[in-house]
Amino acid sequence: MFLLACSNDDTSYVAVNKKLSLEIPANFPNVTYNLDANPLTEKGFELGKKLFYDGNLSANGFISCGFCHEQRFAFTHHEHQFSHGINDLEGTRNAPPIQNAAFMKEFTWDGATSHLDLFPIIPITNEVEMGETLTNVMAKLQANQEYQKLFLEAFENGEVNNENFFKALSQFMVMMVSSNSKYDKYVRGEDDISFTEEETYGHQVFKQKCASCHKTDLFTDDAFRNNGLPAYPGINDLGRAEVTGSASDNYKFKVPSLRNVEVTKPYMHDGRFGSLKSVLDFYDNGVQDSETLDTILKQNERLGIALSEEEKEALIAFLLTLTDNEYLNDERFAEY
Amino acid sequence: MKLIHIKLSILVAAFISLTSCSSDDDNNSDALTGENNVSLEFDNSMNGDDLILGASTYTNSNDETLTINRLNYIVSNFVLIDEEGNEFIYPKDESYFVISEENALNEVVLTNIPAGKYVQMRFGVGVDQEKYQQGAEGQGDFLQIAEENNMMWAWQAGYKFLNFEGTFTAPSIASSTDFKIHMGSHGNTLDNYKEVTVNLPSTAMVSDEMTPLIHLEVDANQILDGEHKIYLSEAPVVMVDEVKSPQIAENTSTMFEVHHVHNGEGGHH
Repeated sequence: MFLLACSNDDTSYVAVNKKLSLEIPANFPNVTYNLDANPLTEKGFELGKKLFYDGNLSANGFISCGFCHEQRFAFTHHEHQFSHGINDLEGTRNAPPIQNAAFMKEFTWDGATSHLDLFPIIPITNEVEMGETLTNVMAKLQANQEYQKLFLEAFENGEVNNENFFKALSQFMVMMVSSNSKYDKYVRGEDDISFTEEETYGHQVFKQKCASCHKTDLFTDDAFRNNGLPAYPGINDLGRAEVTGSASDNYKFKVPSLRNVEVTKPYMHDGRFGSLKSVLDFYDNGVQDSETLDTILKQNERLGIALSEEEKEALIAFLLTLTDNEYLNDERFAEY
Repeated sequence: MKLIHIKLSILVAAFISLTSCSSDDDNNSDALTGENNVSLEFDNSMNGDDLILGASTYTNSNDETLTINRLNYIVSNFVLIDEEGNEFIYPKDESYFVISEENALNEVVLTNIPAGKYVQMRFGVGVDQEKYQQGAEGQGDFLQIAEENNMMWAWQAGYKFLNFEGTFTAPSIASSTDFKIHMGSHGNTLDNYKEVTVNLPSTAMVSDEMTPLIHLEVDANQILDGEHKIYLSEAPVVMVDEVKSPQIAENTSTMFEVHHVHNGEGGHH
């Protein structure tokens, strides 16, 4: 039997699955994702991409991951303060961008999971997002001949199961690296890129007044902080405390990356601000004190961060250098 | 070729085990050989009474009267310890189980346990951080099993270690009120996974012929009425509570006791 099966192999075609390598930008910190546990391959990536854009991951067959995470807007839900998911139900938080996930330690605004593989459970099963169960998703994929083939090509054991499903989605997201903005090329000394006078000034102000939280070239320290937003009427979102159960974490949210911030409006975890100017005005004069307000925002006997109009304009000019058009138009990640 | 080798080695092994069997008679040795299943029965109760979902009422020492509609929990990372203190660690990837009263999941079968005389058992209640941090690879199909048994905390992509629900009355609360106790780790900040060690009142014997059943009596009354007194009248819903959740985790870890061990040839209860 064993020998016979071997000789029969000639008739079954097995597609070649090439390894993919993750290029780590010179100005980035170390990768946090464990690539050894989920080696990147072309077929794994392609499968992850197909899953990312497949509405069948939701209960009604229409809400894919890509529905709320659109590439042109750095994979955010453009102009939606709160994303609407299944049956037009609305959540209470603004869809964050997907970029550089391989370098992050915490996911979602409150750090509900610290593993990228397990992150997709949250939107898939959330009643106001995709409203589906893992069990149903697996049943749909297992019944689909195309997926049977794609899983077979992408993974050694070829099974259509949870493990391979999440691995494929992670492979797609791990490859989604935004690192070719004007800023990146400037700091890496590529293409003779130089900053204008205003961008240079903005960069200085940024390093002095923003970079203690928006750290490293990821522009986040992956920490949870209360930045002093006044409570949103009708929504008492406790943020990090919902995960930890600790009152000392009330109203803390993950410091977001500022990459591609030009195209990810509206801003803040609840999408309350429509422009970068409004965000900077808030830090200058809108920060509200509370027990858990970050101490960084309570220095020099004032709340918030003192910013002159000149500094704000320069900061915005600097922030626009973080727009990475290569990423926003990269066909590897495009739906069509 | 492979097949032939395997057949030969089986023959050799059989020969060796036959010869060793015959020599056993001489010194009446207790050498057990081979491997077999060990079954664990989780018999849920409330302070000595049978746990009957949705029917019986139970009054605890907090003077609260409970009707229980759901009792599910995760047990994991089984280790069997023999009389010499040697530990057999059950393969981690296979070592996660849901016990569910409503879905009649009360038995765990550990397979391929090496022959021996086991006197103690250690296991976990819940899912350890190490397993969670293995990501997709670590969870495998257990995620789906957890989901199907109401043990997935979908909003934080984690596990409920305990799902204990029902209704209650208390001196201050006369009308029947829903309670929900969902306990698990709080992300990576508060680890509520607990290890339990239980002694076996008699030796569990495993060999090619012997497949024991270990009968655990599980006193769910401990969840609220254990070392820490958890009053439902103070908070009928406890899910992520920095103070009460770790107390519930500690209480839950004390609800297991081995009542007796059946040794025999399987199919026994």
